[in-house]
Amino acid sequence: MQSESLAASVFEGRLHPLTIAFGLLKAARGIIPVVPLLLFGNKIYGFMLLLAVTASTLATALARYFSFTYRIEGNELITQQGILERKQRSIPLERIQEIRVEQGVLHRVFDVVDAKIETGGGQGAEASLSVLSRSEVDRLRQAVFERAAKIRLDAGTGAVEGRVDIAPERVVIRRLGVKDLVLIGLTTNHIISALALAGALWNFAEDFLQDSFYRRAGETLYRESSRFFIREATAAIALAIAVALAFILIGLIVSTVVAIIRFYGFTLSLSGENLHRRYGLLTRRSSSLPRRRIQVLKIEEKLLRRLFGLATLRADTSGGQRENEDDDSGRDVLLPITRRAAVTPLLATFFPDFDAGSTEGAGGVEWRRVSRLAIRRGAVKGAIVCALAAAVLFGVYWRIAALWPLALLPFVYFISVANYRNLGYTLSGRYFCARRGWAGRSTHIVPIDKIQAVEVRQSPLDRRLGLATLSVDTAGQAYTGGGPQINNLPIDEAREIAGALAHRASATRYIEERRRRIEDRGSRIEDRGSRIED
Amino acid sequence: MVCFAVELKGGTNMIDEEIKPFDQSVLSGEPPHPTTGFQPLDSRVVNLWRASSLIGFGVLLLSLLIPVVAVGVAEPRALVWLALAWLAVVAAAVWFCLWYPPRLYRSWGYRIDAKVLETRSGRIFQRARLLPLSRLQHVDIERGPLERMFGLAALVLHTAGTHSANIRIPGLEAAEATRLRDHLIEIGGDDAV
Repeated sequence: MQSESLAASVFEGRLHPLTIAFGLLKAARGIIPVVPLLLFGNKIYGFMLLLAVTASTLATALARYFSFTYRIEGNELITQQGILERKQRSIPLERIQEIRVEQGVLHRVFDVVDAKIETGGGQGAEASLSVLSRSEVDRLRQAVFERAAKIRLDAGTGAVEGRVDIAPERVVIRRLGVKDLVLIGLTTNHIISALALAGALWNFAEDFLQDSFYRRAGETLYRESSRFFIREATAAIALAIAVALAFILIGLIVSTVVAIIRFYGFTLSLSGENLHRRYGLLTRRSSSLPRRRIQVLKIEEKLLRRLFGLATLRADTSGGQRENEDDDSGRDVLLPITRRAAVTPLLATFFPDFDAGSTEGAGGVEWRRVSRLAIRRGAVKGAIVCALAAAVLFGVYWRIAALWPLALLPFVYFISVANYRNLGYTLSGRYFCARRGWAGRSTHIVPIDKIQAVEVRQSPLDRRLGLATLSVDTAGQAYTGGGPQINNLPIDEAREIAGALAHRASATRYIEERRRRIEDRGSRIEDRGSRIED
Repeated sequence: MVCFAVELKGGTNMIDEEIKPFDQSVLSGEPPHPTTGFQPLDSRVVNLWRASSLIGFGVLLLSLLIPVVAVGVAEPRALVWLALAWLAVVAAAVWFCLWYPPRLYRSWGYRIDAKVLETRSGRIFQRARLLPLSRLQHVDIERGPLERMFGLAALVLHTAGTHSANIRIPGLEAAEATRLRDHLIEIGGDDAV
């Protein structure tokens, strides 16, 4: 043991014995490639290889189980592992943003979980505790957050933080029923789901069919269909429509099933300062994050959802680095679906000091619009695209009918006006909100004290028109696809806003600084010897 | 700097009357932000940029010369066109080495007040970047061999941001860069995100 802390260890724990079993199970998947060798190849080599792989994974799993310990000591959570080379990692408790819990189907049978501890920095999880019993995770989570709250309280910051209850009550903010999940499925872009299904079927079929089959099938299909088209055009069109409808229907079913599996029993709740999410039909996931860590909140209204008055909420925390393999985990959404009208009251829950009013146009906040030149620019840009398309088509077909893209011009103008109407921003004492897009609309809400940098850009054309693009940079943009960006702002206004945002950001942080300086000392890694894979 | 401001202002009268004048009440209590008061870089940076693009283009032109000569020997008819293309690159190099650096220099500027560092840069695509000083994670000083030759240094300011996570101010006088860094660290902030 290396670090000698003054405070006595208050909490200690180790992994669940099933760690070994799950480690072996994971290894079993690694053995599959060896199986053909064992069956068809050199049996002795195959057997030896199998033995070596099994023995080494068993050793790793055993070593991990027996050596892995964690404890809370003073202000830190310390994990330690390794027998020959000891690796110790200290994570300051106040730095812990999230204890994420995942429970696969097999985990559920034995009532154990994988827990991942996330902090502000670095890629992915700071520490991965796999596997723990469920009661142990609850104990750990309670210990960590209670102690972190107590440290804040001792540092004299509790009063400013709002209420810091030692055992806060959990209030459910939103619970999604099966109806909501079906709604998610129906409003997802299901063409993608259908394509994914087709791709999966194709992959599956590829294993059983031979190349010559594809060629023959393709040729037959082409010959028969062209003959059919010529003979019975109406029937052919009806058939095409029926196929398209079937495709969409399959897509709808697939995305609904996916939505139900992913988000079944979704519950968003708040206890003290922490937002909790819990969801999943097969693999149950739960995570919690302190709401003051939200860097950007995005209200996303994609075309289909907007038609039905629905929205999705996404949030970036500074710790959020998107992990590729985690893509289907639903981590990227704070609330997968909600009525647009219900978002505004929720904002006060996510941001207790929200002061920018309602973000729904009617009656509430007044969106400041950009220059009306935006309409002209949008229309000209669209007109150029249409004209080019028409020119190319005319060049190829040499017919008046080929000029049909020009008929889209009124529509282009309409879109430009609609986009202009939806582009806007508001600036309040503590929050900056920006909204853009007509067909698919997104609204970004940034607490001004989370702003990292502000940028004003001007292209040569912007300069001619006296306009500029303003963009706001924040930390950890993993899930919202970038911070707010407003183009076609008059340059003077853009400069004023940028200056105001930067100055306010600096000022807010100055007040906070004294509070936080005590807390944030960064996570410290004592890595002696080789890195052990988690 | 004056040149920069004039250029930016150049087009503003193109905005028609449809735009309401900017409502100052949104920013009540904020300090005014004029476009003046920017510090220029050290003027030696013009020669630094010239030297570095000279080296870059020199290497490029020499390495292009090999295929030009090789193809030209094999196919004499193509030689004229290849030589012309090569000369076009030479012309671009001359433009980049002689004409461009002083103009880029004039577009550059930075200013620091008690709370914010602001940089302006870019000749064709112009941008201003504002960094709340309390967001500074750390400050680096970079001095390459060329920069050392000219007695210059670049200051790199890091934030926890995603897109413009660091801001680089090139071509500061070495002592000035050190002074600036110390000043920024002193007033700069914590790393709480």
